[in-house]
Amino acid sequence: MAKLEILNISKTYQASEGKVLNDISLTVNDGEMAFLLGPSGCGKSTLLRILAGLISADSGKILLNGKDITHLPPEKRNMPMVFQNYALWPHMDVYENIAFGLKMTDMTRKEIDTRVRETLELVRMEDFIHRKVPSLSGGQQQRIALARALALDPAVLLLDEPLSNLDAKLRDTMRFEIRRICNERHITAVYVTHDRKEALSMADQVAVLEKGNLSQSGSPVSVYNHPANRFCASFLGDVNFLDAVFQNNEGNYAIFHTDSGIWRVLPGDYITGEHYTLAFRPESAKCDTAPDALNTFTSTIERSSFLGESSFRTVLLKGCKDAIYINEYAAAERNDGDQLVFAVPAERISILERA
Amino acid sequence: MMKNKFATYLCAAVLLVFFGTFLFLPLYTVLAEGLDKDILLEVFRNRLYMEGLWNAFAISVVTTFFVFLIALPLAVLYDRYEFPGKNLCPILMMTPMILPPFVGALGFQQLLGHYGVLNSLLVSMGLDRIDFLGGEGKFWSICAMEALHLYPILYLNLITSLANIDPTLNDAAKNLGISPWKRFFRITLPLLRPGIFAGGSIVLIWSFTELGTPLMFGVTNVTPVQIFNGINELESNPTAYSLVIIMLAVSALMYLTGKVLLGSGAGTNAVKGMTGSRSIDLTGWKKFLPGAAFFAFTFIAALPHLTLILTAGSESWYQTILPAKYSWMHFQEALSNDLVVPSIHRSLEYSILATVIACTIGLATAWLVQRSKMRGAAAFDLMAMLPLMIPGLVIAVGFLGMSIKYEWAKLIFNPINNPLLLLATAYAIRRVPYVLRAAASGLEQTPEDLEHAARNAGCTAFGAFRKITVPLIAANLVVGALFAFSFSMLEVSDSLILAQKSTFYPITKAIYELSTYLGNGPYIASAFGVWAMFFLASTLIAAGILLGRKLGSLFRL
Repeated sequence: MAKLEILNISKTYQASEGKVLNDISLTVNDGEMAFLLGPSGCGKSTLLRILAGLISADSGKILLNGKDITHLPPEKRNMPMVFQNYALWPHMDVYENIAFGLKMTDMTRKEIDTRVRETLELVRMEDFIHRKVPSLSGGQQQRIALARALALDPAVLLLDEPLSNLDAKLRDTMRFEIRRICNERHITAVYVTHDRKEALSMADQVAVLEKGNLSQSGSPVSVYNHPANRFCASFLGDVNFLDAVFQNNEGNYAIFHTDSGIWRVLPGDYITGEHYTLAFRPESAKCDTAPDALNTFTSTIERSSFLGESSFRTVLLKGCKDAIYINEYAAAERNDGDQLVFAVPAERISILERA
Repeated sequence: MMKNKFATYLCAAVLLVFFGTFLFLPLYTVLAEGLDKDILLEVFRNRLYMEGLWNAFAISVVTTFFVFLIALPLAVLYDRYEFPGKNLCPILMMTPMILPPFVGALGFQQLLGHYGVLNSLLVSMGLDRIDFLGGEGKFWSICAMEALHLYPILYLNLITSLANIDPTLNDAAKNLGISPWKRFFRITLPLLRPGIFAGGSIVLIWSFTELGTPLMFGVTNVTPVQIFNGINELESNPTAYSLVIIMLAVSALMYLTGKVLLGSGAGTNAVKGMTGSRSIDLTGWKKFLPGAAFFAFTFIAALPHLTLILTAGSESWYQTILPAKYSWMHFQEALSNDLVVPSIHRSLEYSILATVIACTIGLATAWLVQRSKMRGAAAFDLMAMLPLMIPGLVIAVGFLGMSIKYEWAKLIFNPINNPLLLLATAYAIRRVPYVLRAAASGLEQTPEDLEHAARNAGCTAFGAFRKITVPLIAANLVVGALFAFSFSMLEVSDSLILAQKSTFYPITKAIYELSTYLGNGPYIASAFGVWAMFFLASTLIAAGILLGRKLGSLFRL
């Protein structure tokens, strides 16, 4: 059982550079895998290191199962970290690396030995037990780094971009492996990444950080489909933004007026005459829909890029000066200049405050 | 985290006390005693002192010029070409350093003396003898002797800088059709400025304040020797202090001039480590030229040492090209001499303690600078590197002054009762930079995350440093310690000035004393010098093997 609460954490390195973290609050429930997602310099690694106790926060609290651990030294937190560069000790072999932390506990030599072997089995590296660290490949080192942290039976597992040094294929495999192990062990984990695919595919909860502020947190689906602002919308994937003015609620829909015409979205507390931003993902558009379907528009294809499983098209709507992006799966063959009819379901459209 | 902060501040406080007591207090003592307008004016009015200062300055300029003439071509050859025997070059380049130049001066005198090797050769060819060491000959001999000892320092700095220059910059110039010489002067040389400055300034200051070599050649009209001769009456006549202040001021001026002229390397850092250095494979007879140059210079540099070995191994050597008869006699005499064995014992005592102190302080400073993230930690690096710029002579006189001036210092530092602490700390303060640079380079190459990972795994901060970091930087620490120990064993300025009673003489002072004995004194001194030379050679070879190209960083300000 490990519930981690981050309460109003702030951190400044140098006053002239402003706050690295600004009043961050987040709860990670027992067994949950939370992702801190954001671009470089957004403060996600700083937050992780504060959780590990390697950096102290200027203000705020960290609670582990309700107990304040804010000022606890790292060695007393039982929150081991998997580092981006793995940080395996090169003067020790695989066994010694994993046993190192266990030796700090009151476990007997036999218990340590059993635990090391079990953990190596878990990460499928049992054949490498006495190998020297420098002789391991990147992927193998990554597994050993994970094993070293898991061997300690962590209260919370911290992962700092652990897959960023691996090639794309290995990264996919390791994503699955890490998720499997965390599920099997019911481990609470905080995972830092700037890779949105990694976050969306693995997380129970995604917390998007921007310039030290928590932009949005929630399940991957909710954060992806209903971004809280333009930053979250664009950081999590390709998105179309349209300037729109709220007209009125009509039946089951809210009516927005744009340069390209009327858009119907799910109703909400909008102010009549106020400017908003409509946002929808390129893949939310359905092509070749019936002309009377909701939010159906006829566009002209300006440019297409074939991506294999889909075609990514840039289209122009009549009356609209900005291009719209549409990702068409199982796409029919079309040429630049062709007409394309598409529709966007109301529930796939987000209404954002106008920037 | 509170504990960590406490450890950081405690470490900073200990370092401040150490450097305050053993670096700044000696400097302050010199300044307080010698910074007297009347005495300073008198020094400036005194023709002898001015002549001494001019000679010391001339020696340093000429020596540095010689050093450039030797080191620059060798460094460029080493960096630019692949040639047979290249692997031996790091060891060859350390050869001149295995003996303090003042001991080499013994060999030099045998080589160039009126009845020495060269003159015997001239006579055997039916020519007249030349008084190489007469008149200005001594000046040139001192410069040559010092240059042959110091050129590795500049060389090591230059090859480090050359290794950091991106070869594509040269390729770009080549691509634009610029000739090799122009490329060297317009591209390579300007980018070498950090190495030139780092190595050149050490050589300049070192040769300016060198005491042993002029002393051995019997030259008295240079400031360091004038200071040495003045220390016996230090309590009644503070002129030596004033001379030290002038030396310090001139040294600082030399350093600053170098800094202004060559800069701190701004704009040259951008080229660091973009791609590795690319050496050219020489073919045919040309491929033997660089190696031949290295061997030739090493042979010339080693000539005083070889002569020393022959002197020690000869029954007597007079008016012949080679000794008439060889014997182990002087080696045995050296080991049975009243001064020799106790001096080895004393040197070991002083040097081991100095090494322990230098390693502790160097490692603590490196940790504070690299790991603590304490505000102003960089100032500790500067403070610990300062002794490399401050002449040994200044520190030695400062220590002596301290032991005269302060009651507490008299108690623990009295050179008459037992100079162990006095010499060990004086040796140590000047060796801290070597350990600091070695440890700091180890820490730089050891990611801090390795310590963080240990702390995450349940290890305390001190435990993580001890169990993870120290084993990983052990090789660097061993090298730093080797340097500290071997240079302490053969330290000259502090030993000549601070060891005043024969029972407490370290090796170098014993060699100096023996060389002044009439009869077989120079032979025994030579034999003792040979023992010392082999000792230092083995430690430097070990360090060279362990550090390779990074050896240069130990001689960098």
